[in-house]
Amino acid sequence: MAQTRLGRNENAAGWAFVMPALALIGLFMIYPILWSLWMSFQTGRGMNTTFGGFGNIQRLFADPIFLTALGNTLIFLAIQVPIMIMLALVFAVMLNNPRLKGRGLFRTAIFLPAVTSLVAYSILFKSIFSNEGLATQVVAFFGGPQIAWLAEPFWAKVVIILAITWRWTGYNMIFYLAALQNIDRSIYEAARIDGVPARAQFFRITIPMLKPVILFTTIISTIGTLQLFDEVQNITQGGPSNATLTLSQYIYNLTFRFMPSFGYAATVSYVIVVLVAVLSTVQFWVARDRR
Amino acid sequence: MSAGVRLEGLRKSYGAVEVIRGVDLDIQPEEFVVFVGPSGCGKSTLLRMIAGLEEITGGDLFIGDRRMNDVDASRRGIAMVFQTYALYPHMNVRDNMGFSLKYAGMKRDEIRRQVDEAARILGLEKLMDRRPKDLSGGQRQRVAIGRAIVRHPEVFLFDEPLSNLDAELRVQMRIEIARLHSELRSTIVYVTHDQVEAMTLADKIVVLRDGRIEQTGTPLDLYDDPDNIFVAGFIGSPKMNFLPVEAQGGALTLTEHGGQTVPMPPVGRRLEDGETATLGIRPEHFRKEGEANLEVTVEIVENLGGETYVYARQGASDILTIATGGVRGVRQGDRMTARFSPSDALLFTPDGMRIR
Repeated sequence: MAQTRLGRNENAAGWAFVMPALALIGLFMIYPILWSLWMSFQTGRGMNTTFGGFGNIQRLFADPIFLTALGNTLIFLAIQVPIMIMLALVFAVMLNNPRLKGRGLFRTAIFLPAVTSLVAYSILFKSIFSNEGLATQVVAFFGGPQIAWLAEPFWAKVVIILAITWRWTGYNMIFYLAALQNIDRSIYEAARIDGVPARAQFFRITIPMLKPVILFTTIISTIGTLQLFDEVQNITQGGPSNATLTLSQYIYNLTFRFMPSFGYAATVSYVIVVLVAVLSTVQFWVARDRR
Repeated sequence: MSAGVRLEGLRKSYGAVEVIRGVDLDIQPEEFVVFVGPSGCGKSTLLRMIAGLEEITGGDLFIGDRRMNDVDASRRGIAMVFQTYALYPHMNVRDNMGFSLKYAGMKRDEIRRQVDEAARILGLEKLMDRRPKDLSGGQRQRVAIGRAIVRHPEVFLFDEPLSNLDAELRVQMRIEIARLHSELRSTIVYVTHDQVEAMTLADKIVVLRDGRIEQTGTPLDLYDDPDNIFVAGFIGSPKMNFLPVEAQGGALTLTEHGGQTVPMPPVGRRLEDGETATLGIRPEHFRKEGEANLEVTVEIVENLGGETYVYARQGASDILTIATGGVRGVRQGDRMTARFSPSDALLFTPDGMRIR
């Protein structure tokens, strides 16, 4: 189609406006993504790298630390995300009750962890679960055993799960609360008159109606957990004996703590990309509209 | 199957604010009762109190012979249709209608039979697999009615069910609801702010204002024989004209209409000379003939084809609405004589009570 001069000028002006942003996105996002894909086929240490084909991918399957980190990450994912989503839903439904007094206060209290600094709260959790920490004392007060929270592999995982649940439940709850407040109240009144029990109202009405939001939060939580880094780095440093080591932390170690192995670290990064893609597809499939 | 409803001194307060101030009402089985009144008169609150969605602050509610004040909404033998339809958006029409029956312990075959029967009555058979978002407003409201029908309630409650529909659908659904009532012979309590709905559907209209009943009666009773100026003004469309008058030697002087005199309507008591009152005359009671006449100047003419409404004034008086039948050719600025028969007019005291 022939363009008028005005049209061409407008196009040029438009491009001029978006160019700075495009240049920055290209330089700091698209270029690194493509470069890391290239790097993931490089082997060698430090700056001494050569093209290694699928060598890094073969190395993954023989690398016990990678397999431990993958296992840990998937355990965190499989246990923490469902617990957090359920908790967030329950809190949201409770806070949506107009007869509850002090709703604003509770809402703020539950959401507040989401705005605290990752490092600050991690250090707090580390102190709570230290040998003389609050958690240890509370357990002892109720006559429980002395638990070395951060020194035992099982309990270290529990602490990490508790920490991220504390930090992110309120964040997810806000999405549910917003969605719940958009549901017409008379739907619940109709259900009440029709004698639908409260449990069935929750499972047969509320949850199906929140399905799109639940799907959204599940996917962002999955991505977040697959990228889990700050908490483990600050609370357990991946210990004891790699019991809480996550994929992100392993990438960090490969790049910055050990003799730098950029190529292999890039390969592990792409494992996260593939996992996110696969899990998101599965979640969309599970939540598909069955008619 | 259908039960009566009895309200005895029913009250409702939110904190210090009393919204229902002592309502007594007797609804017979199979009766179609319409609560009507302006916004905020408490008609929806009263319906929700019958439904069990609002707590009752004082007085007694009986459905059938049982006192229902503290009985859960699901055990009152009622079903309700909401203004917003309140359908479950993730369920198809069949599941929407059958959902509650599952929790009533009904067998699957029986649910299917009940739902099919309701769908047949409402003409929904072809839509059973659709979801609410794929239905028109009228179809959604039919599904909501279907959901009520399958429960075989003793009393149906309708909360402004047609308010979200466009004018044409509203007329259609109105006819549908009237047909349903004659088919099901169930007790219906229906809330609306639309007096045409009230007039056309009701066996009995209850006019509410400020949480109190102003008058109860058949539609024509309220139209012909209103107890007070509020009911007279609320029932009938266009609204009744109200003219300030003063009694003078057995006739009425129109104080705001140039001191013109019209004959006294037939009322039971004699008005003292100098006593002020309000004369009420419906637009449709102005005719070509009549002993009383008003000289007016036309301001606005609304031609509806079969009916022509003339809005006219006499000097500085309030606007009078005159229904002239099919008369055409009336123009703005024309002078005309509006005649009426005094026996059609109503008289009210200054505080709004009817003088009979």
